[in-house]
Amino acid sequence: MALLRKELKSEPPEKWEAQLRKGCLDLAILACLWEKRLYGLEILRGLEQDSSLVLAEGTVYPILARLKEESLLQSEWVEADAGHPRKYYWLTAAGRQRVISMAHVWNGFAANLNNLLKPVLNGKGR
Amino acid sequence: MTSNPMIESYFAALSTQLSDLPQPKREEVVRELRAHVFDRLEQIAQPTDDDCRTVLRALGTPQEIARQYRVELLLSRSAWRISPWRVLRTLFRWTLTGIQGYLVFIMALLGYTVAASLYVTALLKPFFPHNVGLFVSHEGITLTRFPVPPMGTEVLGMYYIPLAVFFGYLFTFVTTLAIRFVIRRFGKLKQRVAAASA
Repeated sequence: MALLRKELKSEPPEKWEAQLRKGCLDLAILACLWEKRLYGLEILRGLEQDSSLVLAEGTVYPILARLKEESLLQSEWVEADAGHPRKYYWLTAAGRQRVISMAHVWNGFAANLNNLLKPVLNGKGR
Repeated sequence: MTSNPMIESYFAALSTQLSDLPQPKREEVVRELRAHVFDRLEQIAQPTDDDCRTVLRALGTPQEIARQYRVELLLSRSAWRISPWRVLRTLFRWTLTGIQGYLVFIMALLGYTVAASLYVTALLKPFFPHNVGLFVSHEGITLTRFPVPPMGTEVLGMYYIPLAVFFGYLFTFVTTLAIRFVIRRFGKLKQRVAAASA
């Protein structure tokens, strides 16, 4: 256990980035569904386009299953022209509430962090 | 949509890996991922074996997907709901993964057994008022004895019933909370370990 903690401490930046992405995934997936119902692949495309949250494609499905289990999402199989049905997801009322509150948390957090980062990015001081 | 042996063996492997999910859920998962693979392949005019391989690789290995479902579904399910039966069932699977899980399982079993015993005595009290209750004597405290009533005097009378129910519920609640805490904590730890080794 001590060994594990040590490993976590000296994480390279890429690992930190991966953790950050992973942490934001719930919010990103819920946000994709804000406007309309989508099936898994459409959600993936939304993630790729808008948020550069690159991930193994299979990752999104277990998360969708959990969000549904938490009653934030609802789903339904819909017959498509493609010849096979697709499983569409949409936000429940609780899901909408959750995205709103998560979005506020995120906004506050990002604003504070940006303030902290200003001197770092400006390269002043020292 | 034409299928292909590579895809079939992929989903056979996935189905096997997901064997600890209930069957309807497992079929649902396979069906959904199959739709994903078909959708991906339909974007290609004449999909070759190489295309299949690429699509499946992008999805992740069956082991990896099954592991993620397990982490997201089983653990979170117990972490969110207070149902002793569900928590125990999940824990039982979890015990197979290591000594910590085993210890927690024993703890849980103990907690729930005490709770269940309290409920049972509450049910028995109206029928055996002289055998069940809170008996205090110089030897200590006794709750129940058959067929001879316990030593000492019964101090609660019929108030024993609501009190036993209350403490039974308290035990259930505290045990479940403790397990939820451990699952969240070690569940996360397991995820980290898995992520670190991936």
